[in-house]
This record gives sequence, C-alpha cells and structure tokens, in this order.
Amino acid sequence: MIEFDHVSLSLGTFALRDVCLKIRKGDFYFILGPSGAGKTVLLEGIAGLHSPQSGRILLRGEDVAGIPPERRRISLVYQDYSLFPHMTVAKNIAFGLKMQKADRHTIERRVEDLLRAFDIGGLRDRRPLTLSGGEQQRVAIARALAVEPDILLLDEPFSALDPVSKEKLIEDLREIHRTRDLTIVQVTHAREEAMRLATRVAVIIDGVLVAEDGAEEIFNAPETCELARFVGIENILEGRIVSSSDHVVRVDTGAATIIAVSDLPEGEEVAACFRAEDVTLSLPGSSRSSARNTFEGTITGFTPMGPLMRVSIDCGFSLVATVLRDTVKEMGLSPGSRVSASVKASIIHLTVRTRVIGD
Amino acid sequence: MRTKHRLPDPCLISFSLIGGLIVGLTVLALLNIAVKELSDIPFLISTASDSDVINAIVVTMGAGLNAVLILLIIGTPLAYVLARTDFRGKGVVESLVDIPIMLPHTIAGILVYLLFMRRGLLGAPLYAAGFTFEDAYPGIVIAMLFVSAPYYINSVREGFEKVPVHLENVARTLGATRFQTFMRVVLPLSVRHIFNGSILAWGRAIGEFAAIIMIAYYPFVISTLIYYTFTTSGIKASSAVAFVMILACFAAFIILRLLTRYTGRYDDRV
Repeated sequence: MIEFDHVSLSLGTFALRDVCLKIRKGDFYFILGPSGAGKTVLLEGIAGLHSPQSGRILLRGEDVAGIPPERRRISLVYQDYSLFPHMTVAKNIAFGLKMQKADRHTIERRVEDLLRAFDIGGLRDRRPLTLSGGEQQRVAIARALAVEPDILLLDEPFSALDPVSKEKLIEDLREIHRTRDLTIVQVTHAREEAMRLATRVAVIIDGVLVAEDGAEEIFNAPETCELARFVGIENILEGRIVSSSDHVVRVDTGAATIIAVSDLPEGEEVAACFRAEDVTLSLPGSSRSSARNTFEGTITGFTPMGPLMRVSIDCGFSLVATVLRDTVKEMGLSPGSRVSASVKASIIHLTVRTRVIGD
Repeated sequence: MRTKHRLPDPCLISFSLIGGLIVGLTVLALLNIAVKELSDIPFLISTASDSDVINAIVVTMGAGLNAVLILLIIGTPLAYVLARTDFRGKGVVESLVDIPIMLPHTIAGILVYLLFMRRGLLGAPLYAAGFTFEDAYPGIVIAMLFVSAPYYINSVREGFEKVPVHLENVARTLGATRFQTFMRVVLPLSVRHIFNGSILAWGRAIGEFAAIIMIAYYPFVISTLIYYTFTTSGIKASSAVAFVMILACFAAFIILRLLTRYTGRYDDRV
C-alpha cells in the first residue's frame, strides 16, 4: 500500500535517512520514536507535502513523485487537529467533499452520517475554537474520513487528550479500522498506544529506521538492547551464555546466572530482557515456585504508577518489578525489606549484543 | 485597559506619564486647530463647501482607494509568496519591497516621475497608448502606490504567516489545490490583516505630498491644495482647509472601523 524505497528527506532540523519500509493494506501501522525524530515529516512525505531528496515513495504500487497531495486520496489528522477556525463543524467536515465537487445531496448525507457516527451532531453549527480537545479531535477525524480515503495518517492523536477522551478515541479508532477497510498509519512517542492498537510497528530514532516488525515481536522480542530499552523493557542484564542444551541456556552476568529458553550457542554475548511486570515478588523462605530464576535482594525504593507500584530491588545487580499497590501493603514491603524476585525462564528474551543496530 | 489597579505600579505610572506626552501633543494640536476654526463657523462652512476643497478631498481619498485596490490585486500574491516560500535572493526582494519606506519622498517622486513622465521608460509607451500620468489622476495613483506598497505588503504577509501551515496541509490532503486552499483557508483567515494593511496603505497614500507633486501638481490633492493656499492666501485659509480634511479623515476611519469591527474574528467564544 505504502512503500518507502531508500527515502531520505530533510526539512529544517528534521531528517529521515535512507528509510525503507512497507505498509500493507489494512495495517494499523505505528511509527514509534522519540519526539523530534522526524515522524511528522515522514507522514507529510506520505501525504505528498514534502518530496524526498532521494529515494522513492510508492503508493498502491506506483511512484507518486509527481502527484500533489490533493490527488493522493490520503487524509491526515494533525496533533493540533488543525480545524478550520472560520468554518462551523459541519462545514469543516464538508470541506473535502466540496473540494471534490460532490453534489449537495451527497455532501449533506455524508456529513449527517459522520456527525452521527462520531456523536457530534449537537456541535454542528459550532466554531472549532469553542470545542474541547476531545470534541475537536472527533471533528478532525470525521473531516478526514468524509472524503473516504483508503489511507488515514494520524499524527500523535492522543497527546493532548484527557484520559477519558483518550479511551474513547482508542475504541473509535479500533472501530474505524475494523469497519472502514482503512490502512492507518499513526506516529507517536507513546509506546502504550502502539501496544494497544498496532498490528505492525516501525521504530525511528534520529531519523533512522532501527526496527520494523509485527507489534508482538517489537514489544516482546526486540532485536537489540537499545530497542528493548526504547520499548520499555526495564530489566536488561548483559552477560555471556555459559551452557546451552535442550533449548535452555544459562547466562552468566557476573552478578548472577540467568536461565532462559533459547537456542543460542554457548559463548554468545547476550542481554537478558524481561519486563518489570513479569517479575514476581515473594517473601524469602516461602514455598518453592516453578519459576527457574529466583534472586534474593533488598528493596531500595518505590515509585507509584497509578494502581501499580514500581519496586527497585538490589540483588547484587539492580532489578525492577511492578506489583499492585495493595500487594505492597499486604506483604508489608518497605525500603530495606528482603524479598525474592522470580522470573520464568520462558519469559526472558535474549538479544544478541554483537548485532549492529539497523541490520 | 479596564483593569483596576488598587496599588498603582510606579513603573507603569511613570511610563504612562512619559507616553502621555506624545498623545498629549496630538490632542493639543487637534484642540488648538479646532478652537481656532470653530470660532469662525461661517468661514469654515464656506471653506467646506468650496468646490476646490471638495474636489481635492475626493481626488485624494479616491486615488488612495485606487492605489489600495491595485495593491489588493498585485500586493496580496507577493505577500503570500514572501510568507510561504524560501528562495535564494529572498532577502533582496524583501529589501526592494521596503525601499520606499526608507527613501525621502521627494526621491520617491523623482523615481516615479522619471519612469512615468511623458518621455519616461514606461510613461512613453503608455502615453502612446493613451495614458497620461503627468499632471493627471493616474500619476497621483502611481505615486501613492509606490509609497504605500510596503505598508500593505508587510502587514498582509504577517497575516499570512500567522495562518498555521498545518491548516493548508490538511486542506491539500482533503482535495484542495494550492489556489483553492489560498482562497478558502488562507484569505478568510487573513481578512483582518488585509484590512489593517489596507488602512495603513490608504492612510499613507492620502498623506502623500512630495512624491505626488513631482509627477502631478494638478489635479490638486489635499496636501497640494493646503500648501498652495498657505503660500497664496496665508495660514487662516489653509488651516480651514486642513481642518475640513481632518474631519473628513476622522469620519472615514470611524466608519471603516465600525463596518469591520467583527470581520475576521474566529476566536470569540459562544
């Protein structure tokens, strides 16, 4: 559907360097990267608002170099919604259809449908600047869908929304993606959004594509330590495989030995990655668990995260676990408490450290 | 400022007093002439109804309006290009636009005269085609256009720059060409700046004297008439003409402000 063939594109301080990627029809494709990584430029490149300095952008299999944005059938929704402030909500939604010279009847009907679908009928004659952020967002998406594009580009759509509007939008987007036969490309720096919606994910750091894969692989089996860190895996322990047999390896990190499921050979330099929420805490001396890795340590600190508590533990190396706040209370944990932290061998992902980024 | 200061800020007070000097000067000057002129109402009325005075005011305001209309057509596209593009030599173009602001107006007059006189580079072929600029209405318009263009272009450009580029991008992706985007998104959102630029340019144009008399001493614009009256009949006659023009200008500006009070405002909450 959308293909980047060695695309380099720079604009002011933003730059994409030699990016290759393939977005298939029907994907809910996330482009993930830190702020200022050139993600918006990439979307504008797809929309035809900037041309690449080198490389080709292909849409529906065709090089679109000479095709202006108005003929690409791609809708773009910006982070700031960019509603036309001098038009009412209904006129905003009708704008694209008017530009495409649809007849009045069609325009009226489709605007009505969208007002209803997004539950914004009551806002019909309001001016955009009198709406809340969530309302503006819905108008912006309705306006983008009015022209029935087959590709929808979303630039950080959640960044300015309150939690309630955000949940609603996530549901709306799921629904839109499911029912409208759309390819959606969304850029964001918040990985949580991608974890909830994406079918495929590309990670762009400093204008360079560092990974592209299915959402599952990117978040749970990242290829490099950098990527693991970027997708929010907090426990990354570097070491070397000291034994490998029957799909089980032992990794010596210097401070501990970690058992993981892998086919990597002995001698390989690896990093063992596992999420804080995959660590189970228990009081020392309690009954044995099926988890193969158990480390005893001392709690060094707590960081509240909503209903959860992030627990930092010193086991001779530092380890992070997240547990429910209530659990902390029930177990009577406090800084200085001794705990055992256990992790199942099957949940640990090993990345090979010698691998070069972007390979 | 409608804010009530319970404890007046000494800095703001002293700034206001200093700033008041300039406002006070204007008020004093206006009161001074008003008191003088209003003490002889019959003379003022006879001046105001003098056909030469009325003609000069009509010619001045009309030619100014004419210059602004031309600016709307040729200045607006230039302002958009300057607002939205970056090209080699843009700095040079910007300086060229600003030149009339820097130049003494007699020099502007000579430049316009040399170009548009009967034997001038543009004046000669246009004269052959039937257009005369020397001592004619078109000459006044051209001189006014030359000196007022920078005020219009810079003001409108600033307006265009304030329209978020994202709005244009969205309009494009929704199927509007660049021109349609300009007409339906950029222009409506810049109405206030276009209006303010027009007022500035118009004010500048009707105030012009030096550049105009170089190419068109006749027909009299108001400045020429005042100067002529001053040199031939003295201060009493010329200040009466001046006062009539002051009243005409006030009336015009008040009417314009009232007419466009709500134009181009989109952020008023309901």
